[in-house]
Order: sequence, then structure tokens, then C-alpha cells
Amino acid sequence: MIRFSDVSVTYPGGVRALSGVNLEIEDGEFVVVVGLSGAGKSTLIRAINGLVPLTTGSLQVDDREVTDLDRTGLRDLRSDIGMVFQGFNLVDRTTVLNNVLMGRLHSVPTWRTLLGRYPAADVAIAAQALERVEILEKARVRANQLSGGQRQRVGIARALAQEPKVILADEPVASLDPPTSHIVMRYLKEISAELGITTLVNLHFLDLATAYADRIIGLRAGELVFDGPGSECDADVFESIYGRSLTADDTMDKQAAL
Amino acid sequence: MTAPVDRLPPRPPPGRFAIGSAIGAAVLTVLTANAVDFSLTGLVTDLTRPNSVIDGLLSPDWTQIWSRRSRSAFIETLQLAVLGTTGGAIVALVLALYATDYGAPNRTVKYVLRLVNAVIRSLPDLLWALLFVSAVGVGALSGLLALFFFSIAVISKLTADTLDGLDRAPIEAAVASGATTTEMLRTAVLPQILPSYVSFVLYGFEINLRASAVIGLVGAGGIGERIQFFQGRGEWDKLWGLVILFFLVVFVVERVSIFLRRRLV
Repeated sequence: MIRFSDVSVTYPGGVRALSGVNLEIEDGEFVVVVGLSGAGKSTLIRAINGLVPLTTGSLQVDDREVTDLDRTGLRDLRSDIGMVFQGFNLVDRTTVLNNVLMGRLHSVPTWRTLLGRYPAADVAIAAQALERVEILEKARVRANQLSGGQRQRVGIARALAQEPKVILADEPVASLDPPTSHIVMRYLKEISAELGITTLVNLHFLDLATAYADRIIGLRAGELVFDGPGSECDADVFESIYGRSLTADDTMDKQAAL
Repeated sequence: MTAPVDRLPPRPPPGRFAIGSAIGAAVLTVLTANAVDFSLTGLVTDLTRPNSVIDGLLSPDWTQIWSRRSRSAFIETLQLAVLGTTGGAIVALVLALYATDYGAPNRTVKYVLRLVNAVIRSLPDLLWALLFVSAVGVGALSGLLALFFFSIAVISKLTADTLDGLDRAPIEAAVASGATTTEMLRTAVLPQILPSYVSFVLYGFEINLRASAVIGLVGAGGIGERIQFFQGRGEWDKLWGLVILFFLVVFVVERVSIFLRRRLV
């Protein structure tokens, strides 16, 4: 379970990214966070694995209080939380398999990592993760040889290789075309459902959000303005989240048609 | 209607600073030339006068190429360059990695490492050699130590610049996965800089090979010592034979190194 209690984040320089957020996410939920850019979506997600420190408030992940964790505690927390990024964040110059093995770093002894000699059991887990997103045959290919959709699947495999309890996906389809976006969203949804992994996905396309989310969370200027099932989330609700009427830019299918 | 070229806005006049700098540079050149009594006529008369050094250059003693002692001096030079570069390269990589914003465990370590790098960098090769000749005595060991530190200076500087311009995205991914700093550097940073780093190591080797001739002059072993030996005895033909041979070795190493470096990056 993830619990935000009155969480605020103010960045150095005075930008208030989150203010007074209260939120509870149960194990295994598939949650989509929507909002304009700058509404605090990335901050919300990055607070959960401690990449962004809270200014005030408390944030619990299972029985850990994120604000109390030291360096080791943070690494321990992060090893339970897989992350998927908008820009994929792969190392281009190395193989797909090596990228996915990055998800095993938390359990591999440092000396083995330094030599690049990963234990067979960890290689097996990485291979299984690649198989899960159906890209195992590219394991020995350099990451920069792949298309955007394939790269994001590798990104998901890397998160999955951690054997995480939670997956955080920060705008995972913002750099992809519509058909590829649907493929990536389907993998995220399936993985969450089949493995019972709590998943938070930031999206800014409304049609994608309603198509996949069990639950939608709306952020506006750092405040939580909507929290409910995808079915309740109609055009009026979106207008309240976005603070303006919807345009073709806000839905992927209409934007693709432009 | 006049042609567009005639309607170009007038070229702005050169700024005062540019004019001032140009005049300053010219004046400084003339003043320093006067101060050191430079004269072209002197240069020509000195060089055309009967001169044993020039005579030696015109008839170099090629047999130096096969002389046993010169050959072993050469091998020593190559050994110094290889060992000094290898050792220096490893230390330079570690120093550069842990002195970055993302690789330093804390601020203190970062600033201490940067200070160490800056100090090592500020001394030239000859000074390192003098330092170690005084400290550990004449011989190859002081040469090795000098080249070791000189390599750290060259390679850590170049590597640090590459590390600054790195793609930070994979670093974020490694940190988010719960990796330690060392694991992150190995998996997210090293693969990115490896080709550049290997290229810098080869470049360091080229520089060290050349430097090893100079540091020998102050007694730090290698070919430089042999050159100084012939200079002391006034055997200019042998000295030049050796220098030409050295030139050939450096030339070949440089060509090979440039070829390899082109393929790397």
C-alpha cells in the first residue's frame, strides 16, 4: 500500500509542485495520473521512490516511511519499485540484455557487477522479463538499434527484472506513436493484472487514460482534484482537471488524425 | 533600384578592444625580441659556421639502431610508457568518475578529488621526473612514477570532460532501480564513455612515449639517458642516429594510435 498524508513538495527556487496531497493506493491497483504538464504528475511519482524528497507531510510505502529512510533504506525501497521513463533511459552503447540486467543490480554483488559477470539466476530473470514483453530475440542487440516501441518494452523489462511490488511509469508513451502507445499500455496493464504489481502511470492523453485505468487521479497545480474510477471520468471532469475545455491535443486518437 | 549588394548595411568598424589587443600583441613581440637580442643574421651565421652538432645531423650514425645498449634503452622507454600509461589510466578513471556530480558519494569527496586532480594536472612531465629523481634516485623507477602521474593528469582531464557531457538518463534509471553508486557508474556510465576513454588512453600513451625521451634527460631512465650520454661525449653523429630512430618509433606508434582512435569514436 502507498499512502500520501498531506504531502507537499516545493523545489529549490520556490516552485510548488505538490500541495497537501492525501492519497491511498491499494496493492495491485492500476492507477493513471492525469494533468497538464507542470501539474505535479512527475513529482508525485518520483516522491514514491524517493527521487524527489518531500518538503512536508508523510509518505508510506508498505510499512516504510519514505522520509525516514537513509541511503541504504532508500536503495532497499527502490529495489522494490520498478520505474519506466518517457525517454526510455537505456544505455545505448550496450546490449538489451545488459540494460535489463540493470534491474538486477540490487541483488548482484558489486564485484560481479564490476566484472560484468552476472549470476546465472539473474540472467534467467532478465531473460524471463524480456520474454514477458516479447522481445527476447533482441537480447544481444545493442539498445540503439531498436525502434522507440521496442526500446520502451526493454524499459518495461528492466523494471520487471527487479521483481518489483510497484511499477512507476512516467509518461511512458509520450515519445511513441498511437499504435505503439497502445502496445506499451497493454503490456503495463497485463503485467500489473497478472503479477499483481501496483502500477502508477502518468499520461496526458485522456482517451488512453480512460481506456486503461482502473482508477484515475487528476492533478491540477499540485493539488489532487479528482480521484475515481475511469468510468466516472467524463469530459466535464477532464475540463475541471485541465481548467479549460478539451481540444484535439488532449486525446491521442484525435491528435493522430490531425 | 540598386543591387542588394549595394544596399548592404556598412561593415561595422572594429571595436576598440580588438584594435588595442592587436597593437598590444605587436608591441609585446617586438619588445621581447629586443629583450632577448633576437636577430635573424645571428641565426644564419651561427648555423652556417662549422658546427659539430650540425655535422652530426648531416651524417648520422645509423649503427645506433643495432647497438645493444641503444636497443635496451629503447625497450626501457617503451616499457616505461606502457606501464606508466596503464597504471595512470586506471587511477585516472577512478578519480574522474568519483569526482563527478553524480559519482561522488558526498561533497567533501568530490572537492577533495577535484583538488587532487588539479594539483596533479598543474605539474608538467619534466617536473614530475625531477621530483622523483630527487626522491627515489636516478633510474627507471623515477621515470615510471613520473609518467604514471603525468598520465593521470592527461587522462583524468579528458575523461572528466567527457563525463560532464554524458546522457544522464541511464543514471536516473540505475539509481531508481536501487543500485549503489559504484554499480551505477559501472553499468550506466562506463559503457557510455568507454570508447572515448580508450581513445584517451592511447593518446596518453603517445604523449608518454615522447615525454619519456625528455624525462630521461634528468636521469629518469629510458632513451633520454642515452641521448644525454652521447651529448656529454660530444658524439653528435650517434646522438642524431638515435634521435632519428626515436622519431621513427614515435611516428609509427602515433599513426597506429590515430588509426585505432578513429575507429573507436
